[in-house]
Amino acid sequence: MIRRVTGIAAVAALLAGLTACGGSEEAAGSTTLTYWMFQDRTPQAGEVVEKIRTDFEKANPGVTVKIVKIPKDDYNTKLGSAVAAGTVPDVGILDQPLVARYALDKTIVEMPAGTVNEADFFEGALNTNRVDGKLYGLPVDHTAVALFYNKKLVPTPPKTWDELKQMSDAIHKADPKVAGIVVPKGDGYGAWMWPGVVHGAGGEMVDEANKKILFDQQPAVDALQLWVDLLPSSPREITDSDLAFANGLAGMMISGPWDVATIKDQFPELDFNVAPLPYKTTPAGNIGGENAVVFAKGTNAALAWKWLAFLTNSDNNTQLAQALGGFPINKAAAERDAATFGEQQQGFLEQLKVAHARPALPDWIKINDEFIAPAIEAALSGKVTSQQALTEAANKTRALLGWNS
Amino acid sequence: MASPVLAERPAVEPRPGRRRRPGIGRSDQLIGWLLITPALVYFVVFLLYPAVAALYYSFTDWNLRTAPNWVGFANYTELLFNDVEFPHFWKSVQVTLQYTLIAVPLTLVSALAQALLINAIRRGSNTFRLLLFLPVVTAEAAVGAIWRWLYDPQYGLINAALGLVGIPKQNWLNTPELVIPALAFIAAWQCGISMIIYLAGLKGIPESIREAAIIDGAGPVQRFWKVVVPMLRPTTFYLVVTGTIAALQVFGLVYVIFSGGGGRSVTGGPEQSGLAYVLHIYLYAFRYDAMGAACAMSFMLLVLIMIVTALQFKFLKQEAS
Repeated sequence: MIRRVTGIAAVAALLAGLTACGGSEEAAGSTTLTYWMFQDRTPQAGEVVEKIRTDFEKANPGVTVKIVKIPKDDYNTKLGSAVAAGTVPDVGILDQPLVARYALDKTIVEMPAGTVNEADFFEGALNTNRVDGKLYGLPVDHTAVALFYNKKLVPTPPKTWDELKQMSDAIHKADPKVAGIVVPKGDGYGAWMWPGVVHGAGGEMVDEANKKILFDQQPAVDALQLWVDLLPSSPREITDSDLAFANGLAGMMISGPWDVATIKDQFPELDFNVAPLPYKTTPAGNIGGENAVVFAKGTNAALAWKWLAFLTNSDNNTQLAQALGGFPINKAAAERDAATFGEQQQGFLEQLKVAHARPALPDWIKINDEFIAPAIEAALSGKVTSQQALTEAANKTRALLGWNS
Repeated sequence: MASPVLAERPAVEPRPGRRRRPGIGRSDQLIGWLLITPALVYFVVFLLYPAVAALYYSFTDWNLRTAPNWVGFANYTELLFNDVEFPHFWKSVQVTLQYTLIAVPLTLVSALAQALLINAIRRGSNTFRLLLFLPVVTAEAAVGAIWRWLYDPQYGLINAALGLVGIPKQNWLNTPELVIPALAFIAAWQCGISMIIYLAGLKGIPESIREAAIIDGAGPVQRFWKVVVPMLRPTTFYLVVTGTIAALQVFGLVYVIFSGGGGRSVTGGPEQSGLAYVLHIYLYAFRYDAMGAACAMSFMLLVLIMIVTALQFKFLKQEAS
């Protein structure tokens, strides 16, 4: 008998433990707005977000904004499951390349006209939310890659491709153990940066409206050839070393603002600065960062857009972007607060003004990883010419998308 | 690869003649069921249901957000024959098979060598066993970081060591031909579990056989090949089978080694030379939103593993001799 009672008790305890794992849904108030964002990078960042939240609630009596913070690495998985389960927030951050996918399957809604004044935003940043000509979200904070240069090796940063090649040659000639520049690789990351170079030669990756692939045209071929041409003065056996630029083994590298803090922290004696990317015909670059969208299955869409307009207005955007680790996308905010950014950050601010959004195709990540990255790798390894590599990648992309030209 | 079919049968069969009041028997049965309920719930919710669901989704086109579309065998045929939709599928198969062919034997050799060394020493064998086992319990991210430094083309210890014997510096993780051997070497370094199993096998060889061999005039080399290796055959067979299954599913190591460089994208090393099969599944499932195709790839891997394992059972010697 005792055995039976303890048995039942044990089972009950185990079952209780199992059910305790399930969460309970909070009853939604009539005007509660749920906003999903990435986990704060620092406690200070949390304070900035909290202040903007209370300001918004003060300006809109009766409204409560519930902010849910999710670690960045888990965010897309969590959001994907929420979409599948129909438990999406009203409004939340969405990775740039996902905007096109979510827009096309109507998971997110188009921004109503008059929500913001489009001219207030940097064009490239705003365009990362544009799918088939319509806006599906707003940029919150963005960033671009730019040219890091070691001031000891590079007295003045190169502005054009020719200057870049000369500078790289000069550095490697002066000391064969030092590479001119860390040439990006043919992986997904390198393929993400490369369009910035293509735009710098006046080129485009695709023409979405007319369904044309353009990254096998001359500007793109020139852009890839630039990287190929830089390799002799920037040998891989030097630049493949861990933190080659920070260790003083390379005069220049292309990277984003996240590396500024790392280098300052771990290599305080390295004297470096950041300049916009060298170009051939037109200053240009790529762009990355956080967009925010309104979900079709959420409630309070009007309030959600009001919240996004509030986050991106000139009063709040600089503070918020700094807290999130990026740069303002509101022109007035960026202009007014430029001085509050550190010396190295100025290069990124300049770069953002001329940054281009990546193509708004739902398959773009796959094209980036599976076709463009291997093409870059093939040309850099010398196995095929830049033109051959890009022609093949472009043809495969046409076949994938069913485009004829 | 837990197999529910192999659940243990009750050791003692109930004897009909000795059963007491049947009422208690039923409630005992009830308690029994209740007690295994948590394990059963876990099995059904986290193993059985996902596996069956994955089989269903492998016949659909599903992006995880909208309702899946039934496409029949299209995912399977496209994976095998459409190199526009899946340009690197066969590359990932090739990479994984090459890795398995190098990593499994290398791991066994290194595990047996370590086990023999530990078996031979009399003092401090626990300490060495712990040291040699450490790589197994080290977090994968740390393993990746450590080996990226060891393989560093400029400062790496591997190149420094090879330099001492006159071998020129290699760019290990960035030369397509060297990537798989470099990864297999890390796997061999992480052979602690195989080492422990071999050690148990060695302890199980009766001392009398060794003594008999010595009396017959067998030297250490002969004793190793004629006594130790044949006596360890069941252990080796077990390790080959489980090692092959694990190697065909290699993922964490490749992911960590090639995810450096700021971006979150991992395209599998230079010229896809480290694009392991499971990494390829991961990319389609979570980066390209092609969950249906990813599920189909998972099932193809399951079938491949079953075939390879069946072949091993048929053609490898399992009995000690």
